[in-house]
Amino acid sequence: MKTLGITALVPPELVFACGFKPFDLNNIVPTSDARPNNKLCAWTAIWRDYIMNDGLDLDALVVVAGGDCHNALVDGQQAAEKIPAFYLFYPFDGDPEYLKYQFEELSSFLNGIIDSNIMKIVKSVKKNLIKLDQMRTRGMISSELGFQYLISGCDLRGNPIAFKNQLFHIPRIHRDDLPTMHRVALLGVPPIHHDFHRQAEKLGLHIVFDEMPFEFIRHTGVSLSELAESYADYTFARDLKYRFDFLEQELGKRRIDAIIHCTQFACHHVLEDGMLRERLQYPTLTLHSDLPGPVPEQLKLRLEAFSEILWRK
Amino acid sequence: MIRYGVDVGSTTAKIVSFTPELTYKVTESRNWEKILNGIPSDEIASTGYFRHKIPHKIAATEITTAIYGVKEYINDPEVIVDIGGQDTKVTDVRKNNFIVNDKCSAGTGAFLEFIAHYFGLKVTDLSEIHHKATHTININHTCSVFALSEVISRLVDGHTIEDLIASIHHAFAQRIAQMIPESEKIVLIGGTAQNKGITASLEEILEQKIHTPPNPQIINALGALRYAEEKEQ
Repeated sequence: MKTLGITALVPPELVFACGFKPFDLNNIVPTSDARPNNKLCAWTAIWRDYIMNDGLDLDALVVVAGGDCHNALVDGQQAAEKIPAFYLFYPFDGDPEYLKYQFEELSSFLNGIIDSNIMKIVKSVKKNLIKLDQMRTRGMISSELGFQYLISGCDLRGNPIAFKNQLFHIPRIHRDDLPTMHRVALLGVPPIHHDFHRQAEKLGLHIVFDEMPFEFIRHTGVSLSELAESYADYTFARDLKYRFDFLEQELGKRRIDAIIHCTQFACHHVLEDGMLRERLQYPTLTLHSDLPGPVPEQLKLRLEAFSEILWRK
Repeated sequence: MIRYGVDVGSTTAKIVSFTPELTYKVTESRNWEKILNGIPSDEIASTGYFRHKIPHKIAATEITTAIYGVKEYINDPEVIVDIGGQDTKVTDVRKNNFIVNDKCSAGTGAFLEFIAHYFGLKVTDLSEIHHKATHTININHTCSVFALSEVISRLVDGHTIEDLIASIHHAFAQRIAQMIPESEKIVLIGGTAQNKGITASLEEILEQKIHTPPNPQIINALGALRYAEEKEQ
């Protein structure tokens, strides 16, 4: 099976149906010790360098051009010098007809759909991921382990059936300490530090919502039309008001106490921080990361201070 | 029973206790063991970068201890600005929000140390020198090293050291001011708050009074003690 690198959300239903296995390039970053020379955002610069240095075995690439940041688009264009690439544009206005056309073009790039039945399998895996998300919110599985599976909702680790089997074997936990913890939503980019959820939990911050992984798992469909209808609602591609409205509802459902807004060096999420704070009236901690690795001490200080300060509510 | 509040930060270590009046000692951080002098850990509440390293019964971050410490002297603080050796923390007490600047040294005590060292001065001399200035000039660079280069070129142009120190204070205060939300009662703490040049510059930029408690550098140690006392009750 050929491997398709993806730079952001690309329907795995469609990629598998075209006989490719998706590989989310971002998933190599948090544990990477690469230090790119020319970079703004470490996420995109690191996967770019991996591709430029032939460090990944990819057959093709989808660069999400509309609906992701400009850093990804520039680094994606460089990477496209090495492997055949398709530029996917999500509609800013959420027009499903436009998105259906984009998906048709993408499937042509991948030589057409050869097994549409696999879309049903992917849909059923995503149903399981939604359940997993709910179980994590209730503290039945660890926040860290739950995140690792939810973030894999973008590519199902290249094999939907094997991935589904793994979901059934996630160890259940019973926690007595949840009432002593703060219910926290993680918004913005996923943390670039591979132990983030574990460290946050140690400091009394129970993460019950991860914004981007939730986008990965909540969209699905079994035909191009259904996929277009669902993915047109991808909030990161829409205007900020649309995204904040969606978040307001979701955070309310999950009864969160506070927000951690994860941003990156040279990232548009830094600019959005003020608007997010104004719109979502929760105590908010903004983290500004740069390179991957374990959570650095100065961020641990912020997490610890945030946990303390939340008890003063 | 907790009897001591200890703040070991990036630059200095502070210990406070009540015997029954407030007593305190300050030393360099690398000498923190000397000020503890065998005090058992169950009598110590700790804060600062070394809070988990030094012996302690209860530890808290400087964000929390600043709130407790300031309230010892000032009622209803709205915003607390804590200028530390290597970072600056701004806490909005009303909203339970805080921001920390540590990506760059330009708004921290380290910047002033750097400048003082260049001129062969003690950082504690800067306050007095500031008040001998006749005017200030704009220092445009936000990076400490480039700001010093700019200062050197102004020195070559014939500006006095006094004017340049006051100008640096102004540039420093401008950087801090960007972090401060609108509020009616701003409190400045940390060792740098003893520098009246910084306070005067901040007041000029923000066009309002800046409150400074007595002994601003021991506020976090005092706050650690008060926080721990509350926890123990």
